[in-house]
Amino acid sequence: MNPVAVVGVLVGLVAVATVIGLVWRSQQGRIHHTRGTTTVKVGDVPGMRRFARGATFLQFSTEVCAPCKVTRDVLGAVASEHSNVAHVDVDLTHRPDLASQFHIMQTPTTLILDSKGVVRARIGGAPRRDAVRAELDRILIAA
Amino acid sequence: MTTTKPTLAAKPGQKGIDPRSPRFGAGITAVLLLVVVGLGLVTPFGATVAQRATEPGFILFALIWALFGWGAFAGVQRHPYGAIYRALIRPRLAPPTELEDPVPPTFAQGVGFAITLIGIVLHLAGVPYALVVAAGAAFVAAFLNSVFAYCLGCQIYLLLVRAGILGRKGAATA
Repeated sequence: MNPVAVVGVLVGLVAVATVIGLVWRSQQGRIHHTRGTTTVKVGDVPGMRRFARGATFLQFSTEVCAPCKVTRDVLGAVASEHSNVAHVDVDLTHRPDLASQFHIMQTPTTLILDSKGVVRARIGGAPRRDAVRAELDRILIAA
Repeated sequence: MTTTKPTLAAKPGQKGIDPRSPRFGAGITAVLLLVVVGLGLVTPFGATVAQRATEPGFILFALIWALFGWGAFAGVQRHPYGAIYRALIRPRLAPPTELEDPVPPTFAQGVGFAITLIGIVLHLAGVPYALVVAAGAAFVAAFLNSVFAYCLGCQIYLLLVRAGILGRKGAATA
């Protein structure tokens, strides 16, 4: 291949990688509102006896996952601001069946459940604190 | 003026690392892999194993593979890029606000080690463009990690858990 074409390929490679990175970053932490068609049963979640009266942050993590810790801190902090909001962190490393059941393609993935276990929102990647608070208010007010 | 100690994100008993160090290493790796792609494209494909094993792109690629191996088996804390970072770069930066667990970047080195090994084997076996494709794929991963802090190791780990290759089965799976 002639040198000009090679430079073209290299530039193209960097460009493609940049586009992939920008698209990925724009999706991270974005809160997807679900249609409320999926309901989680208490028995599905290890260590859970009942859903919180306000909302539940159901976080799925793995052992090898740097952003999961950030998410744990954010969700834990927001949950502690309300007496009726719980935060549950499920380690998929020990429960790969749950990864298939809940269609988890990346960790962290967070599902926000209402008091009946209906999935109201889904977040892939580490969410921002203010976005989570806004979403939580939306769910608590509508309850 | 108060100084806050950085949060130790690593497991107890293990020292956390400056999260910028693996990204610096990934940046060096990305540039080197781009060089490999370029060399692989300008070099005519060797007819014999000896020719393919001695072309400059392959030699550089094999060096990158060895460095991945070093990071994967000795841990990122003992990687030569980490030493360069600590000596040259970190003194010029503010201290890290958070330390991170070294396990995910070490796992990512293992992923790089496996991908480059496949490229090495296929290239020596005579598959055309194996070197270029493997180096290109590894470049994208290293670039995303360095520039966007994308944790490919985390993603691969999850997929391996879902496939049942890693992780442990819990008490009740029924």
